[in-house]
Amino acid sequence: MLSADNFLHIGLAHYIFLSGILFSFGMIAVLMRKNVIVMLMGIELMLNAVNLSFIAFSKESGNLNGHIMVFFVMTIAAAEAGVGLALAVAIYKKFHEVNIRFFEHLRG
Amino acid sequence: MWEAIGFYALAIFLIYFAFQTITVPNPIHSALYLVLTMVGLSAAFFNLGAQFIAGVQMIVYAGAVMVLFVMVLMLFDLKAEIRAFSQGLFSGGLKVMSAALLAGLAIGAANSSVAILDKPVEAARAPADVTRQLGLLLYTKYLFAFEALGLLLLVVAVGVVAVSRIRGGTHAQR
Repeated sequence: MLSADNFLHIGLAHYIFLSGILFSFGMIAVLMRKNVIVMLMGIELMLNAVNLSFIAFSKESGNLNGHIMVFFVMTIAAAEAGVGLALAVAIYKKFHEVNIRFFEHLRG
Repeated sequence: MWEAIGFYALAIFLIYFAFQTITVPNPIHSALYLVLTMVGLSAAFFNLGAQFIAGVQMIVYAGAVMVLFVMVLMLFDLKAEIRAFSQGLFSGGLKVMSAALLAGLAIGAANSSVAILDKPVEAARAPADVTRQLGLLLYTKYLFAFEALGLLLLVVAVGVVAVSRIRGGTHAQR
């Protein structure tokens, strides 16, 4: 299975592997960091990893639908970053800190 | 041969920058490493024959979104955090393991689906042609999704203004 050809011929599997590693890094950032903005950055990292796999699959299958999907994901990610940063500003105005531990009890 | 060397160099850079993004204690450094990750991903898109998406990645992510992040961080005047990570060795290990498990599952599923994919149609298209076809596809087949996205951006713009005007939110003092 692990021959020299697998290492030297870059195909879909290599890009999927890279995408999976980047996605897990983003997920670890969301789960483990305490700063709200770094958690948002983890979400951006996950979205980008998924974009990479979309483009790789699009190249493999030879049509452009994956490119369109990446276009949409980028737009949604920009909107999500705007909303997330507005929430971070709202948290900061209240607590003068953007640590998630101040914001874990939601009171109505 | 050179393609493989280029890919591995790019992959090592990407993984290093992503790792730095999630581990450095200072959020500003984290944002700057994320910019480098975005630029590396743009190079990967270029490698994969998606020149237009690579340019959009540079402009939208590395240009606009990350500048927004850095600006908000400067607004907050944050120092490097002493406790950047959540507490608890056991739960931390559990979180890392669950992320690794998810990535492994996704990679395994994708790898087993690679074999049953149709062989590529071998379309060595010129860059301009890819962009042209992308535009044609976007404004014919995906026109409704495109318009819905525009509406979503309008709603988000209004919502962001509303959210940033709230005083205290759920923790309002009474």
